[in-house]
Amino acid sequence: MMKYALVTGGSRGIGRAICIKLAGMGYHVLINYRHNDAEALATLQAVREKGADGELMKCDVTDGAAVSEMLSAWMQSHPDGYIEVLVNNAGIRKDNLMLWMTGEEWAHVLDTGLNGFFHVTQPLLKNMLARRFGRIITIVSLSGIKGLPGQTNYSAAKGGLIAATKALAQETAKRRVTVNAVAPGFIHTDMTGQLDEDELKRLIPAGRFGEPEEVAGLVGFLASPEASYITGEVISINGGLYT
Amino acid sequence: MANTELIEKINRKLSEEFETDIELIRPDAPLMQTLELDSLDLVDMVVLVEQHFGLTLKAQDFASIKTFQDFYDFIDSHVNDAN
Repeated sequence: MMKYALVTGGSRGIGRAICIKLAGMGYHVLINYRHNDAEALATLQAVREKGADGELMKCDVTDGAAVSEMLSAWMQSHPDGYIEVLVNNAGIRKDNLMLWMTGEEWAHVLDTGLNGFFHVTQPLLKNMLARRFGRIITIVSLSGIKGLPGQTNYSAAKGGLIAATKALAQETAKRRVTVNAVAPGFIHTDMTGQLDEDELKRLIPAGRFGEPEEVAGLVGFLASPEASYITGEVISINGGLYT
Repeated sequence: MANTELIEKINRKLSEEFETDIELIRPDAPLMQTLELDSLDLVDMVVLVEQHFGLTLKAQDFASIKTFQDFYDFIDSHVNDAN
């Protein structure tokens, strides 16, 4: 029986590393992405190099109708299978001090992070509950736990996801569907490319930025049967920066 | 009014799914209490009804379903609608 995993925002960075990790665990990986076809194809290629297969699912998670249509079509064409692992990774940053933050910067970050979680998770939930197995793992951030200046929008989105994770975990635990969040600190990706790494790494007890593969390793563990008693948790992966 | 055959099928499926003595399932008995369901268990009812009767239950449907008779009538009317 083919096992399916869906990773949103899977074309680059942490999302790509997670796709590759899940492929290595034997999953057929559905790679959701918004616009970067070339990067998404590179992720698919890397998945195939792991001896697994996958498919691209191009869709903006902020568009609830489009997500619903995409997932319905997939479910209709796979009546015997279901997506048992969902990694909600899609997220964007539009940093600004609140003093100058525009409504668009606020709304777009909330829309991608928080509404995207709902648009993708809700349609997949029933099959996980009915089959009595599911893993929902959401990538949040240190920003959603501690709050970071210049990121009131991003902190709000990630903090909201943390609360949603804890609530949903209680709704689904009895049916062996676990819901957890992973909160990375500073990880080497395009998203952190503009940051002053030399300055920031002095604040990190581990003395370095993390790698996407290290986050993917934690996600892979949470997706595995070994993590079946862990639910409603937010696990930080930040080199000791904040606990 | 639901026919005997449909009622027997419903009773059998509910009894199996929720491990309830079929003798306890009577038309005027309260559905949720008899099956020992809480609100989170309703997902199992949704799945059961979808699998065996081809209907998708919505949260508001449960508002009018108090007894097994209500449930029979709901299924009966919607199965007929679907046909």
